[in-house]
Amino acid sequence: MSTVDAASAKAAQPRRNYNFLFALTLLGLLVLLWVVLAFATPNFFTDRNIPNLMRQGAMIAILAVGQTFVIITAGIDLSVGAVVGFSTVVIALLLQAGVPVWASILITLLVGLGIGLFHGFGITKMGLPPFIITLATLTSLRGIGLLMTNGSTISIQNEDFTRFATLDFLGIPSLFWMVVVIAIPAYVFLNHTRWGRYLFAVGSNPESARLSGVRVNRVIYLAYALCSICAAFVGVLLATRIGIGNATQAEGWELQAIASSVIGGTSLFGAVGSVHGPLIGAFILATINNGANLLNVNSFWQRIITGGLIIVIVYFDQLRRRGR
Amino acid sequence: MSVSGVAAAAPASGNAAPASGDDTILELRNLEKSYGPVLALKPSSLAFRRGEIHAIVGENGAGKSTLIKLLTGVIPRSGGDVLWNGAPVGLANPQEAIDHGINAVHQEVVLCRHLTVAANIFLGDETVKFGLLQKRDMTRAAQRILDDMGFNLPAGVQLDTLTIGQQQLVATARAALRGTKFLIFDEPTAYLTRQEAAQLFALIRRLKSEGVTIIYISHRMEEIFEIADRVSVLRDGLMVGTRDIAATNDNELVAMMINRTIDEIYHKEHIPFGEVLLETRNLSGKGFKDVSLTVRRGEIVGLYGLIGAGRSEFALSVFGRNPKTAGEIFWKGKPVDIADERTAIGLGIALAPESRRDQGLNLNLPIGLNLSLPIYDRLSRGLIISSREEARRADQQIKDLSIKTPSRKSLASSMSGGNQQKIVIGKWLNHGADLFIFDEPTVGVDVGTKAEIYRLFAKLLKEGAGILLISSYLPEVYELSDTLHVFRAGQLVGTNGFRGASHEEVLAEAIGV
Repeated sequence: MSTVDAASAKAAQPRRNYNFLFALTLLGLLVLLWVVLAFATPNFFTDRNIPNLMRQGAMIAILAVGQTFVIITAGIDLSVGAVVGFSTVVIALLLQAGVPVWASILITLLVGLGIGLFHGFGITKMGLPPFIITLATLTSLRGIGLLMTNGSTISIQNEDFTRFATLDFLGIPSLFWMVVVIAIPAYVFLNHTRWGRYLFAVGSNPESARLSGVRVNRVIYLAYALCSICAAFVGVLLATRIGIGNATQAEGWELQAIASSVIGGTSLFGAVGSVHGPLIGAFILATINNGANLLNVNSFWQRIITGGLIIVIVYFDQLRRRGR
Repeated sequence: MSVSGVAAAAPASGNAAPASGDDTILELRNLEKSYGPVLALKPSSLAFRRGEIHAIVGENGAGKSTLIKLLTGVIPRSGGDVLWNGAPVGLANPQEAIDHGINAVHQEVVLCRHLTVAANIFLGDETVKFGLLQKRDMTRAAQRILDDMGFNLPAGVQLDTLTIGQQQLVATARAALRGTKFLIFDEPTAYLTRQEAAQLFALIRRLKSEGVTIIYISHRMEEIFEIADRVSVLRDGLMVGTRDIAATNDNELVAMMINRTIDEIYHKEHIPFGEVLLETRNLSGKGFKDVSLTVRRGEIVGLYGLIGAGRSEFALSVFGRNPKTAGEIFWKGKPVDIADERTAIGLGIALAPESRRDQGLNLNLPIGLNLSLPIYDRLSRGLIISSREEARRADQQIKDLSIKTPSRKSLASSMSGGNQQKIVIGKWLNHGADLFIFDEPTVGVDVGTKAEIYRLFAKLLKEGAGILLISSYLPEVYELSDTLHVFRAGQLVGTNGFRGASHEEVLAEAIGV
């Protein structure tokens, strides 16, 4: 009836299409990168490099999914890189002590859960900003890990464990399968459970969520717990890949995870995000790094390119939002 | 004389708009705005005179905001001309509008909350000596300006220590300062107390006497009749007509806006009261104390008072949002401890809170999610949500409440105020409740939607619910309430004695004179 409502009607339809188009554009960008690299260097599309790229991307991809849950609640988790490093130490020590592999993995994941719950506690009970509490655990976890190992590296002797990273299934590296194992439940969780809806609701307006009967604090606990468990899981995967436990590993991965998430369309203001976006974002970053290595581009340039890419993609996303 | 020389829309002869007289400051000639094929403002011609107070009324979505945005250069026009002092102007961006002397005071305060009042008033126009801010000079100057305008406000305090109403006055002072010749007010009194509104009106009259043209947009008819010289009516993006205020009345204006008379808006059937749903005994909490009242099935209990009188705080405590400090709450005759919101919701209490933006809506999420938020545990089978059931329920509410939206997937932020309010209410209809607390349900809501909301009240009562209605809009609580309570400074004054009282008596109790 009213003309203004009709105008908003027009705006709403393209919105869904936009989300689809955005995902498609990202995927297109990834494929374009592959095509360019395939022509630019004979070393790209090789049996050795592609699985390698998949392994590289897999770990950041899993971190980015966990990170996205947190960012959707309008939070941030700066500690994930440190949690990865710390987890390699935990699992290496456990295996060294002769704990069975399955129990070591479980305990490491529980340690991750504990770290996430501590973040939730700091945010909901102590009223600390997410940025601060996770910054604090970022530095202190590295310290704790170094204390536990006296600053040394623990090598993992268990060959069943370290062989996992080299395995293939259907020609695809096991580490990449782990992305699938995480992504499918993550997708169902985010889009088809009420807790997924609550993440968005809390990120959009916690007061309104609360007055609608959502237990906001529990949702916060949940988001940070999932994020830290993902990080601990990546720590396990990293340990199988490099065969050592060392608290200084995975330096700067938190920023790569956040960058992947943001490139994948997650809004740092909360309430906007998906599972597929960060996955594609992580593999775009991995491809850039991989390609730069193959082309012998100075590794300093990789960082500059990544930074530029974040600016360009988020800028276009902002243009779209403003245009609406 | 009764009808000014402005035609509804005169596209026939193109530029046949009346020649600007000497007293015309701004003239619109077939101004229009389209979004794609949709006309948000149909070709409109209108002349604003120097030093007049010109009210613009219309339902939500009638095109008022579009008109403001065009005049302040926020959005570009699609066609037509704007003449400023007889010369065509582009108004391509906000700065150009400000340079001409066109300013607006928006409904929502758009100032820097962490700066002082003085810093806000002089923002972008600071007093600087040797590259350093002259804070003391600015504070003194700002204080002089505020005193001079008749606003009783301290210039040196941080803005967010003031009430929303006071912040609104700061925004007004800021807009009135900078060589303004044409000042637009959008619902300026929505959050003002009576005294603040009086101060604002005094300033508006003074600006008028200084030759400033005032555009006054409001849903409150009595204000328009109090202050305006002329009034223009918009309906569905069309300029329906302009009247001299002396030659019209609210019935005519309402009819122009909606083709309905005012008596049809507040219609109330009396339903026999049932059991007592809620009883509070000497309930105290942050912002209110010693409140005892009951709400029965079939009853509307009105809470009138000035903003900040403690009514919303009372409601939030009943709903478990804020803890009570003393007193008891009885639910259906049994004492209950409402420790959190979920307890209240579980008992059958629903709250449509005071602020849609801050408390009621998840603005950047879809309407469907907003409508389903309280009931996701019921929509889930095991862990998984039944998408079909979620969609069915949301669509049902959108249809029942006639929420004007293309789809449940549209964002709540894309809706007009009235439709947003329907979402805030609709989520609780989806959930179902025995007691509905409506806190300022019709602020910024147009007449047509108001009538719909009131009809909804009647329906809820008939279904056996009770309603606690909090409102600062006296005609509304006065006409609709079965029992009317007045809050003043956190306490109930008088009890149950307001049914026969006049508007003036109720108001006097609320103000405490």
